[in-house]
Amino acid sequence: MALKGDLPPIKCAMETFVQSVVSGVLTGSLYAMIGVGLTIVFGVMRIINMAHGDMVMLGMYGAFWAHVAWKMDPFLSIILWVPAGFVGGLIIYRFLLRKIVPAGELNTLLYTAGLSLFVANVALLVWTGDYRTIKLPYAIMPLRPLGIAVPIPLAIAFGMAILVTCGLYWFLVHTDTGRAIRATSQEPEAAALMGISVGRISMITFGLGTALACGAGVLLAPSLYLYPTVGEILVAKCFVIVVLGGLGSVPGAIAGGLLLGLAESLGAVYVSVPYKDAIGFVMFLLVLLFRPAGLFGEGKS
Amino acid sequence: MKPVMVAVALAVMAAAPWIVTDPFFVHLMIIVLMWTVLGAAWNILGGFAGQVSFGHSAFLGAGAYTTMILYLTLGISPWYGIVLGGLVAALIALPIGLICFRLRGPYFALSTLAVAEIIRLVALNWESLTAGPVGLLITTLPAVSLGGRAIDWESKTPFYYIIAVIALGALGMTSLLARSRLGAYLLAIREDIDSAEAIGINTVQARVSALALSAFLAGVGGGFYAMYLRYVDPDAVFCIPLSVEMVFIPVVGGLTTVVGPFIGAVFLVSLAETFRSHFQVGHLIFYGAFMMVAIRYMPEGIWGRLLLMFESRRG
Repeated sequence: MALKGDLPPIKCAMETFVQSVVSGVLTGSLYAMIGVGLTIVFGVMRIINMAHGDMVMLGMYGAFWAHVAWKMDPFLSIILWVPAGFVGGLIIYRFLLRKIVPAGELNTLLYTAGLSLFVANVALLVWTGDYRTIKLPYAIMPLRPLGIAVPIPLAIAFGMAILVTCGLYWFLVHTDTGRAIRATSQEPEAAALMGISVGRISMITFGLGTALACGAGVLLAPSLYLYPTVGEILVAKCFVIVVLGGLGSVPGAIAGGLLLGLAESLGAVYVSVPYKDAIGFVMFLLVLLFRPAGLFGEGKS
Repeated sequence: MKPVMVAVALAVMAAAPWIVTDPFFVHLMIIVLMWTVLGAAWNILGGFAGQVSFGHSAFLGAGAYTTMILYLTLGISPWYGIVLGGLVAALIALPIGLICFRLRGPYFALSTLAVAEIIRLVALNWESLTAGPVGLLITTLPAVSLGGRAIDWESKTPFYYIIAVIALGALGMTSLLARSRLGAYLLAIREDIDSAEAIGINTVQARVSALALSAFLAGVGGGFYAMYLRYVDPDAVFCIPLSVEMVFIPVVGGLTTVVGPFIGAVFLVSLAETFRSHFQVGHLIFYGAFMMVAIRYMPEGIWGRLLLMFESRRG
């Protein structure tokens, strides 16, 4: 992920290492949030959602326009766009996806690829392909605890991503709906026999996945350049994350997100800057080939 | 199809540049035929063998760059370069196939996406070969004379005939494949790969052959693309949207049919190019919208649906 602005040059080896670990964890937390959204949707419905990155893109533009039009702090606008994403997800599932899901994984893959292209091109038409940025007064100088540069927007995003992800985790573990989601993910037929309405749970899960994507987009908006096709590269990263952690596994997606963030930032320092994006894809292929259930063996394939 | 219909279609194709002289429409016909080739390429793997690839831009790009580099550095005429580009693409396809065909269904699709992205990054960074993000540009095409007259490369008509021949070749290959033993193997693999394996089909060999054939056609299409636009850069030819367009054209037109990619290209490319000439951006809206409509309401595609209607009328 290309962050705006350059971090200052770093002198000693230890500092370089700590600095790249810190930035890896910061971006990794946001990757994790996007990955969790994709993985719960896959777990419950077997949808590989190619349009997930475009939902992140919509969240980014949401934050941008809230900032421009209503002078709202982009981070504050998450309270608008997460519920909006949830409702949007419900609508997309109800009116677009519901009839497609029984047709199998490949058909939903192609269908969501169509949805992705459609959404990205409507965005291109409406907002043009220009690169946009959000300028925040408090984002100019990075924080420097112990001499390590921490960009403030990324630090806030990190904190909020942790809150949201933990909140979701709590929801999945402790609420009835959350338990129903996990049950459906494990064994849809048994869940249905236990009286869980799989259709309703699918709809809620898709709403949650979309809400997470929009929320992550809002949090990313101050740290990234905005353009309508940003979703393409994000969705490719998403697949890397969820496959690393095992498709369908929530803890796996969190670990996968952190792992990808670290691999990219350490790879940029110790392997090569131009190929840092390739590291994720190489890991992705290796995991798919040799550990298809994910690095932690939790996913299903 | 009946030979009469084929003859009529050929006559119309040959006469088209005389009937249509508006440069925009000639350009449109060229682009439609180019996408017919690319769609036909994807159709062999995605339609017949049922292996959905989201990384076919890798083969298009390989063909485009091969043709371009051979002409710029060794002076090899694009006439041969386009074919060599196809061969290089097929060669690249072999290791990709051996890796990715260990995976099935959506996992295969995701792995091809990853491979194509890796290849894009290599093309972007291998500057001594590809000139990196700057791209490669050719200003003049080699002089060729046909029947004593020099071909005018500034006019679009010669490009039309070249791509028309390539497109007919691609559809002819599909038609041959559909009747061949390999074609039957591929259909068996598409329907049920385990059963295909059980009755003794070497599914890896069959799928790799389909991929190589598919990559060859995509590479040839890429070589033409490079010569027609006279410019390539990694983000233009190795990008995800090109791969996605290659998927959508045969799916909307009619998977596993010979004419489907042509119908899909006529339909989607004309809409998109007309839209692009008015709004500049967002022309892929139709691709996305019709893809969703096709998957939901007619997974057999436009041509597939027409064939079904003919059959039901006859029966």
